[in-house]
Amino acid sequence: MQKVRVLFFGAAADRAGTREVELPAGEGVTLGELWAVLSRRHPDLSPIRESLAFAINGEYASEEEPVRPGDEVAVLPPVSGG
Amino acid sequence: MFRIVEGPIDVGAVIRAAQRPDCGAISVFVGTTRVDRSGEASVRYLEYEAYRPMADRKLEEIGEEIKRRWDVRHVSIVHRVGRVDPGEPSVVIAVAAPRRGQAFEASRHAIERIKQIVPIWKREVWSDGYVWVGSQVGTRTG
Repeated sequence: MQKVRVLFFGAAADRAGTREVELPAGEGVTLGELWAVLSRRHPDLSPIRESLAFAINGEYASEEEPVRPGDEVAVLPPVSGG
Repeated sequence: MFRIVEGPIDVGAVIRAAQRPDCGAISVFVGTTRVDRSGEASVRYLEYEAYRPMADRKLEEIGEEIKRRWDVRHVSIVHRVGRVDPGEPSVVIAVAAPRRGQAFEASRHAIERIKQIVPIWKREVWSDGYVWVGSQVGTRTG
């Protein structure tokens, strides 16, 4: 079965205790549903949920958007470049 | 020129690349790392990480936004990742325009947008732990 690759950055990587995980993905799963799985597996992420943004294949995405097998999902804390 | 680099930024080279005979102004913004202090503790250095290639693409998008809004002829943004010691440039923006007002405004827009949309994070490494800037998450207790 194809998987979804999930990348964590910055404070989210600290909280997840990892920089990358792979999840099995079925067609029709949304980003919000994927988040529910992630936050169960990495409960320390939940307190910073409000500050997080997400990207699917390198573009900002909302919770309603579908995640398909083979996609790359990124968990993005508030950006602070400069 | 939109680039994420791992070593020191050659500020002079970024400025020289912006020079054009049809422009009367080059506005340059240099963002440098700042040492904060808190009691006995202080920042030792900063560490930047980027989500590439999304970060590269977002820098280019900022360049396109600028060219749509202002009459500018050249935009460069070079951002550093990895360890950056105190006072060193972490980002350099150079905008060349026929007139100075446009160059100033576009340069300001570029740094504000970097802080909104470019997936780059910085971590302050203190003498007693670290803090992710913006998230306030880290090992520092002070």
